[in-house]
Amino acid sequence: MDPLENLFIEHMALLTIVAMGMTTYLTRIIGYLALRNRTLNPRLERVMEVVPGCVLIAVIAPVIFSGHISDILAVAITFVAMLRFSLLPTVIIAIVATGLLRHWLL
Amino acid sequence: MTESNSRSEPPSPNTKAEFLRGIKTSLPMTLGFIPFALVLGAQAVQKGFTVLQVPLMTGVNFAGGSEFTAISLWTSPPHLLLIVAMTFLVNSRHIIMGAAFVPFMRHLSKKQSLPLLFFMCDEAWAIGITDCQQRKSMQLSVPFYIGVAACLYGSWVIFTGIGAAVGPLIGDVEQYGFDMAFTAVFLVLLKGMWRGLSHCWPWFVSLVVAGILYHLLPGAWYVAGGTLAGILAALIWGKR
Repeated sequence: MDPLENLFIEHMALLTIVAMGMTTYLTRIIGYLALRNRTLNPRLERVMEVVPGCVLIAVIAPVIFSGHISDILAVAITFVAMLRFSLLPTVIIAIVATGLLRHWLL
Repeated sequence: MTESNSRSEPPSPNTKAEFLRGIKTSLPMTLGFIPFALVLGAQAVQKGFTVLQVPLMTGVNFAGGSEFTAISLWTSPPHLLLIVAMTFLVNSRHIIMGAAFVPFMRHLSKKQSLPLLFFMCDEAWAIGITDCQQRKSMQLSVPFYIGVAACLYGSWVIFTGIGAAVGPLIGDVEQYGFDMAFTAVFLVLLKGMWRGLSHCWPWFVSLVVAGILYHLLPGAWYVAGGTLAGILAALIWGKR
């Protein structure tokens, strides 16, 4: 790769990481700073409560709608595991099921 | 310390004991962190992070959900605005969490509170509030919270770094199904956030719109589009 392009990518990566950190810290202090003056309007609060779920589910939507039979089955297995188990076993089941299904069905 | 909140019991005066109690309390959770930290580090390197950039990101950001999101959206060079916007949306729950933390921080000055809030991940926040409730106190025990934060933060940064360093040894994580760890983590997080269909129905708007946009648009815009669709639906059709 062109060294100049490499340098640009490196700087963009660092800049993005710093911007992420600043953004996250902002989310951590906004609520604290704001509540000294006023409380959130309850309707807005209800909307904000669903936002993280909307984001997370949008991120995993491609896996759910991938159209690959192995991934669809793996998501279904992961979903059932999620209902029954805590974080760690769910992740292990998801990884093993996905690996095996891709191996068998591809 | 002000005496404005005299109805609350003060936290235990023994700073060292409180710090150690914090570490002990968060230790089981830390053990649960490690596999995710390793997977996150390995996945980040696959997406073009250098080994040093991984603990840098987890160290300055320290919010797992947004880090998994950033990595899944990562390109070379990364799309700064998209990643910052997604980081804000994924972490917008912190705004509510921070607001809920205020009553437990009234005995602290703003100068004391702001550094503590840097470490307010879901787990530290939940452990801190639970501890206050168990002690029937409205005052967060600062050394206890610092113990919790040190344990969670230290293990997260160190093990994401290790994951980045040993990731290449694992090879193509997608081939083995490691990428499904994202989906599994997010599904478990979603289970924790679930408050019933009457409350969480906008999630499904986001899911369907994101799924459609994923097949229609190039790049990672399906995340922004799906998320906004859910938020708009909640704003328009949500309970008043």
